[in-house]
Amino acid sequence: MEIEIVNLREIVGIVRGTFLTKQPQLDLEISSCGASDLMSDVLSFMKPGSLLLTGLVHPQSVRTAEMADIAAIVFVRGKTPGSEVIGLGNELGIPLIASPYGMYEICGRLYKAGLPPAMK
Amino acid sequence: MAQVIKFTKIQELIYELPIERVMKKDVIKVSPDASMKELKEILRINRISGVPVLEEERLVGIISIEDLIKALVEGDIQAPVRKRMTTRMITVLENESVVEAVKKFAQYKVGRLLVVNEQGLLRGILTGGDITRGLLEAISLDYHAEEISRYRAKHIFEDIVSDQTSLILRYKVKARDFKRGGSASSKVKRALDRLGAVPEVIRRVAISTYEAEMNLIIHAEGGGELIAEMQPDVIRITAIDHGPGIPDMDQAMSPGFSTAPNWIRELGFGAGMGLTNIKKSADSMKLESTMGVGTQMEIVIYLRPEVREESNLNHGSGVEGSCRP
Amino acid sequence: MPSLKEITQKLNLEVVSSASLVDRPVTGGYASDLLSCAMKGAQKDYLWVTLQSHLNVVAVASLLNLAGVIITEGSQPDGETITRAEKEGVVLLVTPKTTFTVVGDLTLLGVKGDS
Repeated sequence: MEIEIVNLREIVGIVRGTFLTKQPQLDLEISSCGASDLMSDVLSFMKPGSLLLTGLVHPQSVRTAEMADIAAIVFVRGKTPGSEVIGLGNELGIPLIASPYGMYEICGRLYKAGLPPAMK
Repeated sequence: MAQVIKFTKIQELIYELPIERVMKKDVIKVSPDASMKELKEILRINRISGVPVLEEERLVGIISIEDLIKALVEGDIQAPVRKRMTTRMITVLENESVVEAVKKFAQYKVGRLLVVNEQGLLRGILTGGDITRGLLEAISLDYHAEEISRYRAKHIFEDIVSDQTSLILRYKVKARDFKRGGSASSKVKRALDRLGAVPEVIRRVAISTYEAEMNLIIHAEGGGELIAEMQPDVIRITAIDHGPGIPDMDQAMSPGFSTAPNWIRELGFGAGMGLTNIKKSADSMKLESTMGVGTQMEIVIYLRPEVREESNLNHGSGVEGSCRP
Repeated sequence: MPSLKEITQKLNLEVVSSASLVDRPVTGGYASDLLSCAMKGAQKDYLWVTLQSHLNVVAVASLLNLAGVIITEGSQPDGETITRAEKEGVVLLVTPKTTFTVVGDLTLLGVKGDS
């Protein structure tokens, strides 16, 4: 399994995602990935510049991403966040993506695509 | 990220940049009474393909290499410039934005535009190349501008003289306010960025402050206050609340221990990692609590590694917690 | 699909409770740290991958009759949780790897999730 740097355009393709925020930033390069619904954990373990997969559709997901310098968030399982969350994503410049797949499925796909884990 | 910023900057700049910023101000000109032969020399020596014609200070026409060739072909090389020049001049105003110049280039298909002021006096010459160069310079200047404002903010501590200067930011935190949770930490983070702290330090402060803020939201019955005191070498974050207090400090400090009710866990919080995260990120943490009265947490992060070492030698680093029943 | 015993061996998972019950079938995988989501999405004989290590995880695993729970990032469940897991016959497995990596490994072993 090769380690590659993947960009947001490819990720959106792999997870069949739709952009929720205004500026898609399709060329944004993502170096690693983490899956978690526990924001404390995200904060302590995820590397800057990584992709967060989460089912927590709450402003805290975006705030945590801001604190941890996370590059983008994929909300799993077809969950769509409310306007407040999307507004926060736009305000902070963090791309938010919705995917119909479950977290297990998305992890499998991105792992196979070569994305390394985001552990610090 | 940088790529995206540059691209939109160019679009912005095309509309914002005034022509006078990018034009060539040193204009080579020719008098209408000069001969076409003299013009030939002017064009050859300066390696240009066209010149504005000025009578005294007044712009009266423009003459180019095409005009010269026509004169040569007609055997009229001794004629004065006045006879062979074009009086129809395509001009732009010096305070118009570059986009106007771009439009005129497209419309008239000329090689250069004459830049004039409101009174019609020649102020400069503009070519396509000048626009490109001007945009590129402006972009790099913009980046410098950001660094300059950071530089300025950082110098608050040097320009304002005292025995010890601190910048104190205070935030009120409401209990159970999950939606706005993290907004205070976000502001602290941004402030530190402007003050010129290094990204690694900003991250550590952000994480500690965020966990402290979330603790107030989750556990403090009446909410509390978050105070960030910034000095040139150190930042001190204090989180204060007025209840209920921590019954067992050792338990509270152990990773994974949480008193958060289930509904809070369902929101993704309350995993019991807050204090552990703070311990990992901060240089020192002090926690004091009295049941029925309240809890105060003080976090210290040194902004420069040398200062941290000095402090370790003098005070000893670490984490203290004390509980009063 | 591989059995829980094979998975435990291949992925080097630490068995912290109900070791005798490790040889059981696995029909799929599920990942989430939110209990309410797990309650809805995880099915009988599924393997649940999560960072959560507290008592409620055992309750959910028992209720849904899951094959087991893989607790990630090296989180160690406390004594009370392990005791309860033993009592309910819930297999708890611990790994130092992240959820993302473990799910990736499981997928490569052939353990599928729901689409």
